[in-house]
Parts: sequence; C-alpha cells; structure tokens
Amino acid sequence: MKTPILARLVEIAGTMLAVSFIVYLVLEANSGDVAVKVLGPFSTEDQRALWMHQNGYDAPFLWRYLEWLARFAVGDWGMSTHYRVPVWQLLPERLGRTAMLAGATLVVMIPVSFSLGILAGMAKGSVADRIISFFCVATTSIPEFASSVFLAAIFVFWLGVLPGASSMTSGFAIRELVLPTLVLALYSAGYLARITRASMVEVMEAPYIRAAMMRGVPPARLVLGHALRNALVAPVTVIMLQIPWLLSGVIVVEVFFAYRGFGSLLYEAGLNSDIALIEACAMISVAVVLATQFLSDLIYAWLNPRLNRKTARADAAGIPSETPAAGAAP
Amino acid sequence: MFGLKMLSGRRLHAAAPELCDRLIRGEIGRRDFLQTMSWLGVSAASASVFASAVVGDALFPTAARAQEAPKRGGSLRFVCQIQEMTDPAAVSWIEASVVFRNTLEYLTLVDADNVSHPYLAESWTPSDDLKTWDFKLRSGVKWSNGDDFTAEDVAYTIKRWLAPESKSSNKTSFAAVTQVEIIGPLAIRLHLDRAILAIPEMLYAYNCPILHRKFDDMGADWPKNPIGTGPYELAEFAIGQKATFRRRAGYWGTEPYLDEIRFIDMGTSSAAHLAALSAGQVDILYRIGVSDLDLVKRLPNVQLLTGKAAQTIVMRMQVDQKPFDDIRVRKAVLLAADNQQMLELGYRGEGTVAADYHVAQVQPEYFPLPPVKRDIAQAKALLKEAGHPNGVDVTLMVGNTQGTWEQNTAQVLQQNCAEAGIRINLNVVPSTEYWPVWNKVPFGLTYWAHRPLAVQTLDLAYRSGAAWNETHLADKAFDAALDKAMAIVDVKQRSQAMEAVERILQDQAIMVQPFWSNKFTAISSKVRDYQQHPSDYFNLFKTWLA
Repeated sequence: MKTPILARLVEIAGTMLAVSFIVYLVLEANSGDVAVKVLGPFSTEDQRALWMHQNGYDAPFLWRYLEWLARFAVGDWGMSTHYRVPVWQLLPERLGRTAMLAGATLVVMIPVSFSLGILAGMAKGSVADRIISFFCVATTSIPEFASSVFLAAIFVFWLGVLPGASSMTSGFAIRELVLPTLVLALYSAGYLARITRASMVEVMEAPYIRAAMMRGVPPARLVLGHALRNALVAPVTVIMLQIPWLLSGVIVVEVFFAYRGFGSLLYEAGLNSDIALIEACAMISVAVVLATQFLSDLIYAWLNPRLNRKTARADAAGIPSETPAAGAAP
Repeated sequence: MFGLKMLSGRRLHAAAPELCDRLIRGEIGRRDFLQTMSWLGVSAASASVFASAVVGDALFPTAARAQEAPKRGGSLRFVCQIQEMTDPAAVSWIEASVVFRNTLEYLTLVDADNVSHPYLAESWTPSDDLKTWDFKLRSGVKWSNGDDFTAEDVAYTIKRWLAPESKSSNKTSFAAVTQVEIIGPLAIRLHLDRAILAIPEMLYAYNCPILHRKFDDMGADWPKNPIGTGPYELAEFAIGQKATFRRRAGYWGTEPYLDEIRFIDMGTSSAAHLAALSAGQVDILYRIGVSDLDLVKRLPNVQLLTGKAAQTIVMRMQVDQKPFDDIRVRKAVLLAADNQQMLELGYRGEGTVAADYHVAQVQPEYFPLPPVKRDIAQAKALLKEAGHPNGVDVTLMVGNTQGTWEQNTAQVLQQNCAEAGIRINLNVVPSTEYWPVWNKVPFGLTYWAHRPLAVQTLDLAYRSGAAWNETHLADKAFDAALDKAMAIVDVKQRSQAMEAVERILQDQAIMVQPFWSNKFTAISSKVRDYQQHPSDYFNLFKTWLA
C-alpha cells in the first residue's frame, strides 16, 4: 500500500502545480487591470505605472509566476483588493462556515437517502419503490435556485416560521442553517437515494443473496448483514464526489441566503475581480477535490477488499480507479 | 427687513429683498424661496415664517403621524454594502457615506426638501457677488479623541480636496475655490474665482465630511483611526461584512435615540434582503428595486417608502469615438429613441419621462424644454448623410448597476433604434465590471445619482475636462452658459439661464436620458422617524425603534 499512496501523493502535487499555472495564466496575464483595481478608477496613469513597478509587475510573466508560486507555497497569499486584508485572514472563517453547512447537509442527506434507497431497492417495482423514485426524480430535477425561492416563499414569506437570511450577524443560530441545509439536502438526497437504490437492486439480484434467501435468512439480516456493505460501495463514492460540490458548488445557495461561506466568498471575489482571493480559492477548491478523490480511493479499497490488489497497479500508473457510480447511475 | 434674519446676525444679503418680492408676486414657489434663502445664509425658521405669512402653510407638510413619544435605546440593523472608505473624501459610493455619516459630520446639512441647515457651520455669509463666502463654525465641538474642532480642521479638509495629488472628485466640484483662509479660530473664508450660489448645498455632498486636521499624519486610514465629531463611534468594521457604531458620550448636539447602529452587508441578492426584513432579522434596507415592489406591498410588517428624485440613467455616447464622433449618428439615436416607452416597459412607469438634457423637474433651476420628437424617417436620413446608408452597428455596455431594469430599458432602446437601422449590440456585464470602465466605453449606460441642483451634476459631468465627463463633451459655449447660470441668485432668472444650458446638451445629442426613476425602500414597521432622502444621505440621529 505504501508505494501506491506515495505515487498518488506525487500525482496530486503535480496536478496542483499544473492547475496553479493555469489559474495564474488566466488571472494575471492582463496585469494592467490590477493597478486600476487597487488604486481606483480615478488614479492617474503615472500612479498606476509606479504601482506596477513597485509591485514587480514589469518582470517577465514566467518569473512572476515562479515568484508568486514561491510566496504561495510558504503561505503568503497576498492582499485581497476588495476586502483590504490579507487573504489568509478571510479563509478560515469562510471555510469553517461552509464546512458547517456541508456537514449539516451530509448529516441530513446520508441517513435519509440511504434509508429511502435501501427501502426502494429491497423490493424493486413495489409501491414504496415507485413513490420513493418519484420523489427522488422530482427533488433532483428542481435546481437549487428554484427550490431556494420555493422554500423561502413557503417558510419565510408565507408561514413566517424561518429566518430568510442566514448571515448569522448576531452569532451562530441554528435556525438560520435550516433553509440552506434543506435546499442542499433535497437536491442531493434524491440523487444519492437513486444510486443507493440501483446499487441495492443489483446486489439483491446477485446469486449469493438469492442463495441466502433460499436458505431462509430473515430479510433484516439479509439486508443489513449480507447486502448492505456491497451495496454501499457506489453511494460512498458519490458522497465523496459531492464534497467538492458542497464546497464550491453551493455558490447559488450561499448567495441566495446571504450565507457567509466559501462559495459566497468565491462569488464576491469573482464579482470584484479580487485576483489574489480568486487564486487562493481556486487552489483550495482543487486541493479539496484531489483530497476527496484520494480519500474515496482509500475508503473504496476498504469497503471492497478485492480491489486492493487489482487497483494497486492502476493507482501507481496514475490511472484513476474505476468509478461504479457512473455505471450504476439511473 | 421682512422679519428675515441671517444665521450670522449680519445684514441681510443684497439678493434677499428681491426674492421676497418674487414670492409675494407669486413668481416663485415656497420651496424655491426657502432653498435659495438658506443658501444665502438666512435662517430657515425666519424664512419659513415669512413664507407662511405670504403664501400660507407649507406645501409639503410632513405626513401626519400619531403622536408617539420617541423611545430611547435599542440597536438598529441597516442593510447596505460595506465598502472601502480608507479616505472618506475619495470614496465614490454614497453607501460608504451612509456608514461614516454617523461619526463624521459636515459643515451644512441639506434636508429631504433640499433646504440647507447649519451643522458644523453655525452660519454663512456670502458676499454680494457670491465670490467670497464666510463660514462661522460651531463652538464647543470636540473630536472623539478630545481635540477641539477648529477652523484648522475645515481648512485642512478643503485644501486636501484641492491638492494636486488629490484623488477626490471634489477637486472638480470645488475647482472654483482659489483660496481657503482662516480668519479666526472658528471662522474660515472661501475665495472663489467665479460666483457660485449653491456652496452650502455642495458642502453636504457625500464625500465632503470634515476630517481631523491630522488625518494624514495619523495614517490616512479612517476605519483604522475613526476619529469624528458625530454622536457615534465606530466599534467594528470589516469590508463586505459589517460596520457597527455605538453612541458615545460628550456629543455637542442633541443626543440621538439609538444606542447602536449595525450596518450589515448581505451581499448582492435582493431576495435575501427582503427575506431578512420580512423575518425581522433587519430593520432598514438601503434601497429596493422596482421589481421588488409587488412583494413588498404584500408584506404585513414592512413599510414601503417612495419618492421622486433627480436620479436617472443616461445612455451616453462619447463624442470623440467612432461612429459617435459624427453628430448626425448621435442625433439619429435620439430621434429613434422612445423615452415614454422606455419608462413604461423598462421601469414599469414608476418615474417621470425625461428629455435628454439631464435637468429634472424636481430641481429648482429646471427649464421645461420640449423633448426630441421621435422621427424614424429623419433618423434614417441623418444616418445616410453620415455615410451609413445600410445602418450602423454599435455596442452598448450595460452594467445593471442598479438592477436588471437597466438592461430592460436598454432592450427597449435596442428595439427603438432597430427601426431606424441602428443595430445595437447589448454587452451586459456585472456592475463591478462596469464601474472600472464606465467613463471609458464609447457607448454605455450609466446611472447618475440625485443632486439637489442640476448644475452640480452638469458641472461634474459635462463641463470640458471635468473629472466625471464620460461623454468627453468639450463645448466652450456650454461651459460659459453653465457659469452664467451658476451665479444667478434669482430662481426665475436662473431657470431662464438654464434654457441655453439645456438646449446645448440636447442639441449636442450626447445621451438618451429616458426618465427619472422613483426611489423605493422598505423598512420594518417598528422603525420611526426615518426619512427617505433624495440623495440617499440618510440621517439616523432622529430615528428610533418602537
């Protein structure tokens, strides 16, 4: 296991390096705008030229990139031009907030979708299966921006039972977490339940389950003891794939509910062309994507020991392990 | 004379008796009379008594309200953007001033009716030729760090606007000031190279707060060192997040009611703002958009405030950029535009139609100039003459800085112009992308905030070489006509002098200025004595929470 893990880590570092170059290229190639951003639209050409010179913007591009990379690597991530504070000061709080939202979403989503998926998959074609499948398709096909509006219309404007903005301006309030969590959980739970169901159906039709059934193993033991572990391989991969989405893909929900998380930070950074901040956010997103992929490989191997020997070589060669999620998707 | 008193106790300004005669003869209204008298340094109270005696009671009485005794205390939550405000004189956003206004104060105070009142200046006296202005400053005012407020602070602040390295737009608006003279510990004199009547009003512009005389020495970063003369002190500040003010002891004026004011930045989603207001999480929204009206009218615990103001959008063309360097192309655009339709479809009719010269009916110097009559045939003929027989392609940049109604309005213009063969390609960008280039694009849609006087806007926007001259108009005749209008005390004469100013702007065809948009905001039903201000210069010192 040691060598493949090391190889995977080297691969992760290589990917991050490549992404960092692309990010820098896209954002900093046109350096003229940076001075305008920092000094304001009423600054003179002379002031801008002086600022560019003072901040090393007249050096060759590749040299600037290497300098930036060196600074970035040691934690000097520059100043946010919009918030006027060092970038690293902004990130911990925002990441923490988003992690909290993501955690809450997972806590709601996983039990709900596993139960629904198992319930539906246990008896394919039953009434329960049909109702659950309909519910899953319905929630998954409503995008977050629409369900945000619906839920706010019902719970904030009509019933008046939940707060409409989740800025947590007076400190942490669990009530303010309810609506964004609900929107995210509704959207992703349907999908996860469908995956769980498909996976469950497949396992339930496997010969060893049929054999157990014929031997008279009680249904509860059959599902929990024999089918579940194998049926969870695909859903767990899906959950791992959803973590990056919960980090940067929740922009719509965070902005709609004025939730101060990583997604809205990235949105505001983009809106204000806050280059240093976009760079840091992009690198963090990439790091999280790679870390969850790495983690899902490990969990996957643990859930399915047969894959250990098979994927060791593939991992070392840099070939991503097969993702049954894609195949199992409805 | 007439029972009118100067704030300074000196002799009445030479122009005052003539104004009284005109009021008596019914040639000017009560509001214009009060406004002009206040500029001349006449006490608003005495002018009001005089006006009531002549024309009866106020025409714009404050809405009758059940008499409630104001309650002291409480914390008010105000939603607006928390912007960078390192140098309060250099900010270009009114929202920033709504925040620092609680600590920093101005020489004068212009109320919602455009009448100027004493503030840090106790009184002012212009010379008869309006070129020398004496200001007597309030005594007993202390900075929050314990220093006395003196004429040095005022002189320092004004000189800083005018310095060569100044980044303040005040450099243009106060360009006529040649000298700032300290004539006593609490008295300053401004020397102007041309006559300007509205100096007291101009001193209440959002970026004119008086700074401490050691502002630059103390780091020139206001939120880091938030010294002020106002009743509140800045307790917390984070751009994009929050600014909290707490009442401080030792304020020179009347104690405000609120203990704490919390400005909260809730991002750009107006849905979140309204939801927060509806759920009682916040008390006042800075403003709401025209598309939010239907929802707000249905919310039970929310008051909708609305008002007319001289705020507008201009779809302006740069006179030195192709194809707009040919006046015939610009005229063709104006001839094709249907301003009434833009108001109805773009802004749901919630405003007043305008006529392409950027002077509003609500401004005192307004001269009613007829609008450009829509004429597609003539527009086509002009285009042909200008060498575009098959029409012309142009790109209009829209930043939706005030909401998507800007884009909706531009789409109407696009349809209007298509009839004349002017094919407009709309380039819609986020507002933060528009502001860095707003004065650089050849054809762009720019929002202009209300200013009490049209000449203030025109001076900043259309004078040759002015800081915010986005059309690049350089017309000596216009500059001269504007100078002339700015020096006339008499409202009627000034309005007549504006005819030439407005005509040049309209004839130059530099902008389609379709309408004046009404203002809207929504506040919690608990909020009392909060008044809309046409310039968005909200003052919370009398506001209280029931």
